[in-house]
Amino acid sequence: MIVGEQKSLAEIKDLVMPYDKILVLGCGTCVKTCFAGGEDETAVLASALRLAFKTEGRSVRVSEFTVERQCEDEFIQEASQAVKENDCVLSLACGAGVQAIARRFGKTVVLPGVNTTFIGVLEKQGLFTEECAGCGDCKLAIFGAVCPVTRCAKKLLNGPCGGSQNGKCEVNPDTDCAWQLIIHRLETLGQLDNLRTYIPPKDWRTSNAGGPRKLVREDHII
Amino acid sequence: MNETVKPKITVMYCINSFVEQAAFHAAFKNDADIAFVKLACSSMVKDVYLLRAFEAGSDAVAVFVCPEGHCRYVEGNLRAGKRIAWVQALLDEIGLGGNRLALHHMSAGDDAGAEKVIKDTLAALEDSGLSPAR
Repeated sequence: MIVGEQKSLAEIKDLVMPYDKILVLGCGTCVKTCFAGGEDETAVLASALRLAFKTEGRSVRVSEFTVERQCEDEFIQEASQAVKENDCVLSLACGAGVQAIARRFGKTVVLPGVNTTFIGVLEKQGLFTEECAGCGDCKLAIFGAVCPVTRCAKKLLNGPCGGSQNGKCEVNPDTDCAWQLIIHRLETLGQLDNLRTYIPPKDWRTSNAGGPRKLVREDHII
Repeated sequence: MNETVKPKITVMYCINSFVEQAAFHAAFKNDADIAFVKLACSSMVKDVYLLRAFEAGSDAVAVFVCPEGHCRYVEGNLRAGKRIAWVQALLDEIGLGGNRLALHHMSAGDDAGAEKVIKDTLAALEDSGLSPAR
């Protein structure tokens, strides 16, 4: 899932400062799971903004609405009425959701309330870790399903750097050494021979280094 | 503090930590408007409930939880404590002041302890004043 973190209240207040009618728009998919922009977080932020403006003596109307997914137009449509009734939309979706809302409502100011951080997993309650960089050329089959592009601080593809200690990365001792994980995993699977595979320098054109990417599925287009 | 306006205090309590009685209301009826919110466990205190209590005009919110190690559901009071700390920080950011919200470990039947909490809260409101978000 896409992991994000809500911006600070101070930054959000600065963003919405020029507006008198604000819609806090939540997204019920990825950002809900990481506690950044689901229905609950939308309610909390809207309440916090109302209290903050009232404390400052400002008369600002803050309303709230949550759609299932802000990155799909079918779901976005449900917010049409609420958007129409407000001066601006503070979207608590990832960056894709913010832009999809802006595309749908061309004359409405759309502001981001979340910093989109990475594609990751819920490792344990309250802990999210980055697992995929979306590089567009997945080689997880070779690495025993542990991604060195994302999880090795040096993005090494042909073996460890030699700097790890006790299984931890020398760049950040809180992080497991990806290559230690890869080797253990390949050992468990009886696939250590994978380490003999030479990985040539990575072609980053499939990542966003080659500009915005597009996926076309002709079979779904009429 | 405005003498003509009584402070509003919301008390959210776990039913295993406090028993609401008419005598309690009577003791403070001239000094404060106290709203009680009964919870099956203090872990049911969600951040939005606490904020909405302030939106509804509360000057202070007190949450009564079981003593540490005595939660019937093992960790309910710990979860409540974490959430309250988070909302206190948010109230500071909002400008209301996190000290308007407090967690109190209570034992069922300790009416004197509960009365003291309300008296202390009223005394604190004398200093901080009524909520500007009323």
